[in-house]
Amino acid sequence: MTVGSKVKQAVSNLKGIKSTLEVYTLQTGDEETSSAYKEALVVINEVLNDLEKRVQTLELEEPQFKGL
Amino acid sequence: MKEWIDVLIRSASLFFLTLLLVRILGKRQPSRMTPFNFVNYMVIAIIAALISVNLINPVWGSIALGVWVILPVTLDYLALKSKWIHDLVNGKPTILVKDGKVMEENLIQVKCTGEELLRELRSKNAFNLADVEFAVMETTGDINVMMKSDKKPVTPFDLGRKVSPRPEPQTVILDGNILNEPLSNLGLNQEWLKVQLENMGVTPDNVFIGQVDGSGDLYIDLFDDALQVPQPKVKELVFANLEKCQADLMSFALDTKDPKIKNMYLQNANKIEQITVKLEPFLLR
Repeated sequence: MTVGSKVKQAVSNLKGIKSTLEVYTLQTGDEETSSAYKEALVVINEVLNDLEKRVQTLELEEPQFKGL
Repeated sequence: MKEWIDVLIRSASLFFLTLLLVRILGKRQPSRMTPFNFVNYMVIAIIAALISVNLINPVWGSIALGVWVILPVTLDYLALKSKWIHDLVNGKPTILVKDGKVMEENLIQVKCTGEELLRELRSKNAFNLADVEFAVMETTGDINVMMKSDKKPVTPFDLGRKVSPRPEPQTVILDGNILNEPLSNLGLNQEWLKVQLENMGVTPDNVFIGQVDGSGDLYIDLFDDALQVPQPKVKELVFANLEKCQADLMSFALDTKDPKIKNMYLQNANKIEQITVKLEPFLLR
């Protein structure tokens, strides 16, 4: 596995976590819990942005693995 | 011939009258009554029985019955309004053990022997008198015990651990019937429930009990116990995935040689670690 595909895997893993947390944010009736989830979602979005930028550079370096 | 019809009608009407009167008197459990409440109920029962078999004049009986119902209700109402009357009617709790020492005078006052005190303490799981900090006899005769602080059960607070608040679960399916009121209390509807059940691969009429917990996860018990249903483990999975993500980011940081990129990975790994710690009480506990 190349570095690029590993990073892409991490990105999709993180996206999965993000969507599950989003569902729980809506489902839970408790204010404190949902605000904790929201805080975590903000951080996850930051990390996702960084990683996606990195994926773009990696795709330039390894053009044969471009796309999915 | 006429007499038995008389007794029948009398008994039937008294049955419902007594039912109503006892309901008016309140919801107290017989075992949680003060001795006087017990006497009160006994008198009502005896009067009702006497009228029912025609041993006393029904008019006199009804007057007596009325007095024995109206007076306690009035006293209860006054006791709600005034602390003084409340103490007069219900009495005060008596302290039996204070600071780990048995108060012998109080024991004599409530006519409780040392043997009885020990028995009551044992029934509250305090086999060792040395473990008892405080014990009090309530007005109902129950003895309640506070253990010494080092003998109390451990709570998350003692461990300094944060736990997530857990709102009460709602029962949404009972005996195969979908209950609409608890569902709408949670802001959910039947469609949502049907989708969840479909994901688990069961039909609603096969479910004996279905409960939705505070975070919106569905737990079900089926009539068919041989059938295995997946139990909600989504939150545990999210937690494990977060940890995996953090480990991945650390390994990327080790793999790359570019110091700027290495720094970016490390920072992000730190961020993920922080939210993992923050979310742990909510996802795992």
